[in-house]
Amino acid sequence: MINSILLVDDENLFHLVFEDACSLLDITLTLEAISSSDEAEKRFKHYMEFPNDAQYHKPEVVFVDLNIIGSTFDGLELVNRINNLYGNGVVIGMISSSSDSAEIEKSKEYGAQFWIVKTDEIEPRLERFREDYEGYKNKTMGFKVYK
Amino acid sequence: MKKIEITDALQQTLIDLSKDRKIFLEGNICKVIDYEKGSDFGNYIEESIEIDKSKRRQRLEVTKDIQKKNIELVKKHDENDSLMKDLKVALSDAESAKAQALGDLDIMHKKTQFKLIGKIVHVALIIIISVGVVTTMLYAYAILYSSPETTLIGNTWSNVLGILLTNSFSIVGTIMGVKYASESKSD
Repeated sequence: MINSILLVDDENLFHLVFEDACSLLDITLTLEAISSSDEAEKRFKHYMEFPNDAQYHKPEVVFVDLNIIGSTFDGLELVNRINNLYGNGVVIGMISSSSDSAEIEKSKEYGAQFWIVKTDEIEPRLERFREDYEGYKNKTMGFKVYK
Repeated sequence: MKKIEITDALQQTLIDLSKDRKIFLEGNICKVIDYEKGSDFGNYIEESIEIDKSKRRQRLEVTKDIQKKNIELVKKHDENDSLMKDLKVALSDAESAKAQALGDLDIMHKKTQFKLIGKIVHVALIIIISVGVVTTMLYAYAILYSSPETTLIGNTWSNVLGILLTNSFSIVGTIMGVKYASESKSD
């Protein structure tokens, strides 16, 4: 089971879907969902500056939506910043309704480890992700798209 | 992860609560409580987890349905917006076509008016010239054959020519006036 997950997605309804799916599949016990990439950036800045702060634990996995309405930058840029500015240290990937190959390629360049296509049937994809999780954690698993 | 141990008394209270009032523990807390499989409390926790899962499954379906409808609504809203834009463009086109048609109609009216005026002028000029020519010919004939009516015809000729000239200028004046009036109206 994954210790903790952070979901960055502007769609509040998807927060509920994701939370219920994770609970039903026993993927994690600790899930936090936030709606803005600016808020996520703030958190990662804090994790980097205060790594031993017991109040704020760095998540193990971060799922980032591509288009985050209401934020100053999109999900790809967030992945880029977490990987290149805030020291990474997490399994990070995209979760988006888009399956545009150019964007998928770009996310790979920015250091995303996976891309989950967000549709009605999210549970089977999350289940497959859970199976591959150890590989992502040990960096032995290559970039994968869950369609 | 270290699991939470619940005292026997609290275990019994929770079991009694579930039996009396159908109240169970909910959420991920059930997954972190230590229990012995097959025991009363173990059965209680497993039942709590099952109930929680069933509720979550139900909520997941409802949320997905709402999400789906929400996406459709957003799509329809976008379609409506696009249709409204098209309608606005069509309305604006129709308004300019109407203005163009009204302008054309006005020009046609003016054209008809000018044609009518032209005809009147034409006919008037023919009459004026014909009368002038006939009177002049009559006068010339009288002079040539030394008619006793020469003086009378000469006076008539001069009167007729005067009247014709006056009328000609009056027609030209009327035409200019009509033209000026229609130009001011269109401005």
